Amino acid sequence: MLLITCPYCGPRDESEFSCGGEAHIARPLAESSLTDAEFADYLFLRDNPKGLFLERWRHAAGCRRWFNMARDTVTHEIVEIYPMGSGPASKAGKAAHAASWRRDTAAEAASKPAHKSRAKKDKVS
Amino acid sequence: MASVSNEGQRPPGRTALAGMTVMAHDNPEGGKPGLVITELAHLGKINLRGGSDMLPVISNHTGCAKLPDNNRVVSVGDRHIVWLGPDEYLLLCAAGSETHLHSQLTLDMAGIHAAVTNVTDSLCALSLRGKAARRVLAKGCSLDLHASQFGAGDCAQTMLAHAAVTLIAHDASGFTLVCRTSFAPYVTEWLMDAALEFGASFRG
Repeated sequence: MLLITCPYCGPRDESEFSCGGEAHIARPLAESSLTDAEFADYLFLRDNPKGLFLERWRHAAGCRRWFNMARDTVTHEIVEIYPMGSGPASKAGKAAHAASWRRDTAAEAASKPAHKSRAKKDKVS
Repeated sequence: MASVSNEGQRPPGRTALAGMTVMAHDNPEGGKPGLVITELAHLGKINLRGGSDMLPVISNHTGCAKLPDNNRVVSVGDRHIVWLGPDEYLLLCAAGSETHLHSQLTLDMAGIHAAVTNVTDSLCALSLRGKAARRVLAKGCSLDLHASQFGAGDCAQTMLAHAAVTLIAHDASGFTLVCRTSFAPYVTEWLMDAALEFGASFRG
């Protein structure tokens, strides 16, 4: 059993929490510019790393708030707990975020209101 | 704890544990039962969602000077404001007074981004008293219930024997437990069973 420190309620037993799976999956804004296979990366494919994993958790039996957690799937070590909407602050957390295959997907690129994806789309049309 | 008198206009209806009979297990070591369970029938419960701008309104109707900190309860007379989350509170008030209080709060919260919901009948409140109260609760709860960690004025939403409950500590041996109405008979029976070795009584 993990002892998870809820950012609001403090340390509580794992049984009070529910895991929401992989964190930092951004919804593509320009979804029509993606192929079905590229959209599937966002919609269906989830990472399952051996090592540090950035996850979303919810204190289901307590304050019912979501937060992010950087947890090692081998040792169960909780490296970091940080709020929704922000990225990991620890060195290991940042490295795990950068190393995820998701960073290179077209779906992630299309999640940012960048000009790149629009320019690409314009070029195609 | 809040008075359980039906002081308001509300007729005394059926409560969550109305169907349960009085139960008692003798204390094997003699003397008083280690746990005494009493239903706080019709205890008024109002759920408040919103930020700190609710404080003037809540303060006006309860007399509290500030909203409770995390995992804490602020009590003024028979009104208790229980912290549930960063923007959520449970207001406990005397039975029968919640309808009036709810409408007053709703009116005064106009213009504030807040939600006031009367959850009196959705939740059931139990008073747990007795020397063994902490030990009985600890059998089904993962919280550290030692008096130094969970003392007077502390509260927590947690699981008790798989049921979601809100626990409020009043002193070394007195708690208020709030659970869903539909879970109330189960929680009561579980508590009675868990307290067998200490002696227990349920008065309804």
